[in-house]
Amino acid sequence: MIRRLRRYEGWCGGAAAACLLVGLYLGLVTSPPDATQGEVVRIMYLHVPFAKTSLLAYTVLAACSLWYLWRRDPLVDNAAHASAGVGAIFTMAALVTGSIWAKPTWNTWWTWDPRLVSFTVLLLILIGYLMLRALVDDIERQARYAAILAIVGFVDLPIVYFSVEWWRTLHQPLSVSQRGLSISAEMLFPLAVMAVGCSLLFFYMVMVRTQLLYLEHLLEAKQGRLLSQVPR
Amino acid sequence: MAWLYLRWVGIVTFGLLIAVLGLRRYETQVRPITPEDLVRHHQTDTVRVLGMVQAGSLTTDALAGRAAFRLVGEKDAVLVHYTGAPTEAIRELKTLVVVGRWSPLGGAVEAKEIALLPNYGFITAAYLLGLVPIGLFLFTMERRVRLLYNDIRQAKLYEPEEIGLD
Repeated sequence: MIRRLRRYEGWCGGAAAACLLVGLYLGLVTSPPDATQGEVVRIMYLHVPFAKTSLLAYTVLAACSLWYLWRRDPLVDNAAHASAGVGAIFTMAALVTGSIWAKPTWNTWWTWDPRLVSFTVLLLILIGYLMLRALVDDIERQARYAAILAIVGFVDLPIVYFSVEWWRTLHQPLSVSQRGLSISAEMLFPLAVMAVGCSLLFFYMVMVRTQLLYLEHLLEAKQGRLLSQVPR
Repeated sequence: MAWLYLRWVGIVTFGLLIAVLGLRRYETQVRPITPEDLVRHHQTDTVRVLGMVQAGSLTTDALAGRAAFRLVGEKDAVLVHYTGAPTEAIRELKTLVVVGRWSPLGGAVEAKEIALLPNYGFITAAYLLGLVPIGLFLFTMERRVRLLYNDIRQAKLYEPEEIGLD
C-alpha cells in the first residue's frame, strides 16, 4: 500500500503544482478586477479553494474514520490522522485569507457571522482531534476515540456549507447553486483551476503525511524491538 | 535528498516568476500616482491618479454621462473631467482612482474610466500568509519522510538479531 502511495504521489504532486502555477498566473495576472471590489477580488482565488479544500479534508477524515471503525486498518487510521493535520492547515489558511479579504470589503477583520463562526468551530474540532491523538498513549484507543470524535464533528460540515442560505449573513451566498451561476466565466475559470490544484495538493500532502506517520510508527516499532533485545 | 531540494528550488523559482509578472502588471496597469506627482511631472500619457473627490466640487450631467470634480491629494488638487459610463463610484469625499490623460494647457485630467482602490497590500499579505505556511509545512514533511527512510534503512542493519530470536 505504501509502495502504491509512493507511485501515485509524484503524479498527484506534479498535477497539483501545474494547476496551482497556472491558476496563480490566471488569477494574479490575466483575470479582470471586480466591478464593486476592484483588484482585491484576487484574494478569492486563494480563499475559496482553501475553504473548499478544508471541507474536502474533513469529508476524507470522516470517511477514513468510519472505515477504520469498520475494518480496523491502521493505515486508514494514519490517513485519517494525516487528513486532520493537513485539513487544519487549510482551514487556518482559509480563515486568515478570509479575514484579510474582509478588511477592505466589510471594513472589519472579524464579525460574528454564521459562516465565520461555523468555520472556526471546524478548525477547533480539528485542533481537538489532533490534541486527542497527542494525549492518549495507547495507539488503538487513540485511533478509536479520534474516529468517534471525527464522525460526531461531521455534523458541522452541512452547517458551514448551508449557513449562508439558512441565516441572514454578511458572507456572500453560494456562487454556484441551483439558482445558477453568479460569477463571470473569466473569474470562474481561474477559480476552478485553483480549486482543482488545491484539492490535488491536499491529496498529495495526505499521501506524504500518511507515509510520515506510518514510517514513524515503523521506526518506533523497530527501535522498540531492538531495545527489547538488549540483554538486561 | 538532492532531488528533493532541486524540486523545491524549481517550485520557488516558478512561484517567484509569477510574483514578478504580478508585480509588473501592478506597476504598469494598476499602480496610481498622487495629484502632487501629476502636477510636478506633467505626464502626458495615460495616468492613474489616486485622490479624494473634494466636497462641494462635484457637478454631474447624468444624461450626457459627464462629471466634473476636483481630486484632492495631500497638498494639491487637480480638476477632473470625466466622460464615460455612469458610475456610482463618483461621490463626494470618496477616494478613487481616475484613469485618463493630463492636459497641461487646460490643467485638468480628461478621464475615461474610474477605478477603485487597488488594495495590493491586502492581496500580497493574503497570498504570502496563505501559501508560505503551506509550502513550509509540505517541505518539512517531505524532508522528514526522506530522513525516516534513511533511518529505517540504517535500522535494518540489526535485523539478523531478530531472525536469531525466531
